[in-house]
Amino acid sequence: MLSFVSAQIAALGPFFHDVLGGALITIAASAVAFAIGIVFGSILLVARLLGGRVLAWLVVGYVSVIRGTPALIQMLVAYYVLPAVLNLPLSPLEAGILALAMNTGAYVSEILRGAFNSLSGGQLPAARALGMRATQAWRYIVFPQLFYRSIPPLTNEFTMLLKASSLMSIIAVHDLATVARDATLQTNLPLQVFSATAVVYFAILFVASSASRELERRVAKVLPNVH
Amino acid sequence: MSIDLSIVEQSIGPLLKGLKVTAQVCVLGIPLGIAIGTLAAYLYGSAARLARSAALGYVEIVRNVPFLILVYLSFFGLPKLGIMMPAFGIGVAATAFYTGGYFCEILRGAFGSLPRGQLQAARSLGLSEWHVQRYVVLPQIFGYLAPATTSLTIMMFKDSSIFSVMSLAELTYQSNLLTADTFAYVEVLGTTALIYWVCSVLLDLAGQWSERYATRYRRA
Repeated sequence: MLSFVSAQIAALGPFFHDVLGGALITIAASAVAFAIGIVFGSILLVARLLGGRVLAWLVVGYVSVIRGTPALIQMLVAYYVLPAVLNLPLSPLEAGILALAMNTGAYVSEILRGAFNSLSGGQLPAARALGMRATQAWRYIVFPQLFYRSIPPLTNEFTMLLKASSLMSIIAVHDLATVARDATLQTNLPLQVFSATAVVYFAILFVASSASRELERRVAKVLPNVH
Repeated sequence: MSIDLSIVEQSIGPLLKGLKVTAQVCVLGIPLGIAIGTLAAYLYGSAARLARSAALGYVEIVRNVPFLILVYLSFFGLPKLGIMMPAFGIGVAATAFYTGGYFCEILRGAFGSLPRGQLQAARSLGLSEWHVQRYVVLPQIFGYLAPATTSLTIMMFKDSSIFSVMSLAELTYQSNLLTADTFAYVEVLGTTALIYWVCSVLLDLAGQWSERYATRYRRA
């Protein structure tokens, strides 16, 4: 049994470097997309809450369309349609990150909106009454609480994003899923290759969710009274 | 940039044919997954350690491995094990497998939302296990299950687009054929996205209706 397993691993040995590179692209692209998505989602939330009726409806429509269409289709749109519409050439990786960021931004804005609705009322007027400007009130009173309360759902969103990042392989980004597909074509060992890939994804996602539980604990230590 | 409406018109036929396949996979796979998830949740709640860890392992795999990788593994791997299955069967099985893992999580959350004392009270009143589940547990967790199951259904409906990588003739695959044929990415992808979006919105409305129905006792 053990020799069988080691023989299988040996067969995949030549791809070790490709796997590392693919995993790195998967992680880096997801991290960048998540960072953009957090900022974008915050902007969407503020636009929806403060931007007036037209802007609010635009945001509602955008969120509905993103949540109602497959990430795979969004990936194809980002790669094949957006460059023509924006008149801006995009590499596969750029298009992939853009698609993931636009997708996650919509979900992040909904997560933050949920947290906003759970805030005890009157904090914004109170902050204004204490002489804060609106931007200060949002920066120092509202957003810290929103993000603190949203750590668990945001983490969950990040794991969904990491999983969705595998769809970048459809537009020829050289991520982990692409490496796996290429390795399968070369070795004709699909069971071994895709099982190993599943293990690598599992490890990445496991580390990501463990890290976020740790983050949650530390934030709770620093800000014990936010609830 | 202009939009050629005649291409949209020609695309609608093949796309709706693809939607039919998408719907068939979902209609078979999602309920099957709900059954598997229910079974897994019972295993998870059982006293046997092996059953518990099996259920836990299953849920963790579903939560931590991308659907695409699972589909590749099944599509390319199963024939190597001597299991020959058409792409449609693999689509149904993969949908069921994935739905099951998430539904198990949803059920566990729903059970957790019930006060412990209610089960004990129902049992000490002499209700059979079936009656406890049917008349005490189910009516109460239904309101919790309805919205979560709706989003799971929509998620799996959207994820079925991934079956295009194994040439299952569902909606996204038809869309890919059309774009390869016409290069009219805007028209074809736009129409495809519109079809997905309308279906998701309808599923969402159905879910909202079922949630209202499931929680009608709270307003009585």
